[in-house]
Amino acid sequence: MQVREYLIRRLMILPLLVIGTSIIVFTLTRVGGSPIGIYLSHEMSQEEVAEIEARYHLDDPLPVQYLYWAGGVLRGDLGWSGISAGPVTQVMPDKIAASLELAVAAGIVAVTLGVGLGTFAGARRNRLPDHIARIFSISGASMPTFWFAIILLIVFWVYLGWFPVGRSTTALFTSIEHPTGLYTVDALLAGNLRAFGDALWHLVLPAVTLGYGATAIIARMMRSSLVEELQEDYVDAARAKGLAERVVLKRHARRNALIPTVTVIGLSFGFLLQGSVVTEIIFQWPGMGRWMADAVLRGDQATIMAYVLFTSVLFLGVNLVVDIVYAYLDRRVVLGD
Amino acid sequence: MVDIPHKLPAVAPSTESALRVRLRRVRELSASVLANPTTVLGFVLIVAMISMAVFAPLITEANTPDPYQMPRDWGALNEPPGTDGFLLGTTNTGGDVFYGVVWGARTSLRLSLIVVGITVLVGVLVGSVAGFRGGKFDEILMRLVDVFLSIPELIFALAIAAVLGPSFGNIILALAVVFWVKYARIMRAQVLHVKANEYVDSARIIGDSGWNIYRRDVFPNAITPIIVQATMDMGHIVLVGATLSFIGLAEAGLAEWGVLVSEGQAGISAGRWWASTFPGLMVFLWALAFNLVGDGLRDVLDPRTETAR
Amino acid sequence: MTESTMPIASIRDLRIHFRSKAGVVHAVDGVSFDIRRGETLGLVGETGCGKSVTARSLLRLNPMPPGIHAGGTVEFRGAGELPVELNGVDESTLRAIRGNRIAMIFQDPGKALNPGLTVREQIAEVFYQHRADELLDDIGLTDRAGLVRTLIAREASLRSRWIERGLLRVPPLRAHRAALRRAVDDRVTDALAETQIPNPRAVMDRYPHELSGGMRQRVMIAQALACNPDLLIADEPTTALDVTVQARILDLINDLQRRHDTAVLYISHDLSLVRRVCDRVVVMYAGKIVETGPTEDLFANPSHPYTRGLLAAIPSASHQRGALAAIEGTVPELVDPDPGCRFATRCGFATPMCETTDPGLAPVAADHEVACFIHHPVPGGVGPAYEKAAT
Repeated sequence: MQVREYLIRRLMILPLLVIGTSIIVFTLTRVGGSPIGIYLSHEMSQEEVAEIEARYHLDDPLPVQYLYWAGGVLRGDLGWSGISAGPVTQVMPDKIAASLELAVAAGIVAVTLGVGLGTFAGARRNRLPDHIARIFSISGASMPTFWFAIILLIVFWVYLGWFPVGRSTTALFTSIEHPTGLYTVDALLAGNLRAFGDALWHLVLPAVTLGYGATAIIARMMRSSLVEELQEDYVDAARAKGLAERVVLKRHARRNALIPTVTVIGLSFGFLLQGSVVTEIIFQWPGMGRWMADAVLRGDQATIMAYVLFTSVLFLGVNLVVDIVYAYLDRRVVLGD
Repeated sequence: MVDIPHKLPAVAPSTESALRVRLRRVRELSASVLANPTTVLGFVLIVAMISMAVFAPLITEANTPDPYQMPRDWGALNEPPGTDGFLLGTTNTGGDVFYGVVWGARTSLRLSLIVVGITVLVGVLVGSVAGFRGGKFDEILMRLVDVFLSIPELIFALAIAAVLGPSFGNIILALAVVFWVKYARIMRAQVLHVKANEYVDSARIIGDSGWNIYRRDVFPNAITPIIVQATMDMGHIVLVGATLSFIGLAEAGLAEWGVLVSEGQAGISAGRWWASTFPGLMVFLWALAFNLVGDGLRDVLDPRTETAR
Repeated sequence: MTESTMPIASIRDLRIHFRSKAGVVHAVDGVSFDIRRGETLGLVGETGCGKSVTARSLLRLNPMPPGIHAGGTVEFRGAGELPVELNGVDESTLRAIRGNRIAMIFQDPGKALNPGLTVREQIAEVFYQHRADELLDDIGLTDRAGLVRTLIAREASLRSRWIERGLLRVPPLRAHRAALRRAVDDRVTDALAETQIPNPRAVMDRYPHELSGGMRQRVMIAQALACNPDLLIADEPTTALDVTVQARILDLINDLQRRHDTAVLYISHDLSLVRRVCDRVVVMYAGKIVETGPTEDLFANPSHPYTRGLLAAIPSASHQRGALAAIEGTVPELVDPDPGCRFATRCGFATPMCETTDPGLAPVAADHEVACFIHHPVPGGVGPAYEKAAT
């Protein structure tokens, strides 16, 4: 089983890659000036500073420092975030929740629009809808997220006033508990439909912005994948059975075309991760991306490093999961047919 | 699928010299590349923007002492486009948006040429050595490449630039560090491909030097994917670079599109759209142009990868 | 041989061309023949001669851009019904015929079965599409009006949207859905059992790639014959199979055909196969028919030089060792073809007149026709003859 071996190998390399990434992050902390900067906070006394220096062996050679730093990370010590005035590990979960909510919304937009557009174009190959879809796809890869966000902001917020900026209307959410940190879910759990609607309303613009790039690549992949499937014999055979074209397209061609499309999900996730920095800045969304941007501007090393480590591990994990899912779905691949 | 039957044309033996064959191939390739209307559009855009960059001093008067700094007219704050002397309006610090657009092109050209230049050189060098040497060096290198690729590009560049300190030079450096790996990979793959070919063994036996093999077999084949990648990167680098500047990693007041968009943000809620829209549009057009051409090149040069045709 | 009466399909002067970069390809240029009820007809010719295009026109399966219907008719006449002109008929009538009255099995069952659907799901589609009313009958919903019937009816005919399908999972409706599924399963199992597949219930839940080549072909046959079609088109059904399996599949088709009085159109380039199973043969070359007749007669007295060449080219066990007899030359240009006989450039007996005038089909014996001037009067000039050519 070629594929299974390949996946197992990937799984085994994963920890090595994570370690490699951590080494890079560690190197960056050492390049950027004071190694102790990550752990320092304003109120620390001389003794506390000395204790940190000892704990992380900051006088020892670099490889030793790395081991202690890594040990600290594994124990949950990611340093002190100057901009948030708190330990990184304490501040992160809320930020993660906010970014997660946005990413999921953007993902839903990207998948539904992308698959729909790609199918629409692929079924009408080389006709006008296909050309329009192609322009859309290419523009998606070239679109600067920060500019797209600003355009949407200008049109839909300044001039039309249809959508708001920020995560929610504060007044509506003061009384709501936040068990999950996801405003939409929390509102539903509290049975507050008005808050739920408010959360959704705030999600629209940033989700569309963030999802644009991903929509474009999904649409493109879906389109070419569908075109390939439509050339297969079983599509003709399905028509020969007397099935309506709509059924042939959806039940036969598209279902099989969706499988290769799964492979771009990993890539799209990368788009979502990277786009979130700028999207959150512009729409004032209190997530990881905006946190990172603030950290970058104010030299908060702990936050920067935590962010890089977190996103890389996430990125690696998602890609591996996608590959596994793809191998499972594509029975032709798995059983080596 | 039904085969559409028709006869294949007969192939006559060739009598052309090697040089003429190459020239003819180039002409044929250019023809097929230019046959695609979107690719032509990309070319036109590239030519337009590069011209704007090159002739910037002629289009608008260069600012003193540093033409790459935005000129400020404190008496003309927030003028809308079309105001006398300010074709695209001014920013909230009196910066001429048109100047920013034109000189921003120059900045972008510098950025992309330098970064792509460095990354191609380094990547090709490292990839070739890794491929030829093999062994431990190759192993380590490939692990390094894998690690580099597991960090999303923007985030990696962001972290590096943040650690080095906000400056345009550091942005260039950060981008170079992040983007060279792709070329190393391409080059290495080419070298390995040729190495696996038995032809190399027999050539070695005859006494052909490694450098000759490289020049004759590896390089010509590797050139096409590298050209495609470099073209796409010319656009992509400016996009990522502008994003980094937008976030704030370049010097304030720089005549660079990302910086301008960022500075223009303040006026948006007041309806002053021009300071951000025009420079941002330029970033989009630049990336789009190179993507279109890169796509067209790839369709023609590397038909194995089926793109949205 | 089965008794044949009225033809169930009549192709008259069919012309199908394809637009390509090189020009308009005359893939099928004036083809006429009948398929009689219950008979086994072989459509033979080399790759590119137009036999597949001709056969697919019976189901209107040729992609119509780039394909062009440049002329001719394809008539289908079910038992006691009015003839239907398949080229002009509307979508829904056509779809009621496809898979139901005329069915097709394809060359490579590994490719012609959807790899992502189980055997059950694929064969069930045929029943859903064409036997929805009977299915409703089976589960006793025909007389009941109302939402339940509508939902199930739509599910049965593959018309339900996903919301409707979701609704059907709700308990009271769930029972009906299960009953529907059982009814379909029974029919699918019966269809599979007919093709002598062992343990149909287990095979039903398999995916195509989990089955052997022979099994897959049986599944395709089961799917094609599920609704008892009048005509089965078999496009090189054994080419992708092992030799040992080939014989069994051919016997199976023969057996089923006799039981259900189905006509079979075999498309093949394999003459020995055709000789074995077909009642009549149609030989095509470069988009035209060159010879047609009862199998025995045609093989005993091949009249067209091309047919003769084909038969001479078959190596047999009794063949003397030596050079294999191949037909010289290649298939002619099908873009803007020359007016004369298409075979003229390769024919050892051709005369200048052959290259300018097209010989039509004319009888040479009972039910045996040939398109060659060797066998019928020439309009002018010197005609070809077999005696003239030196060995």
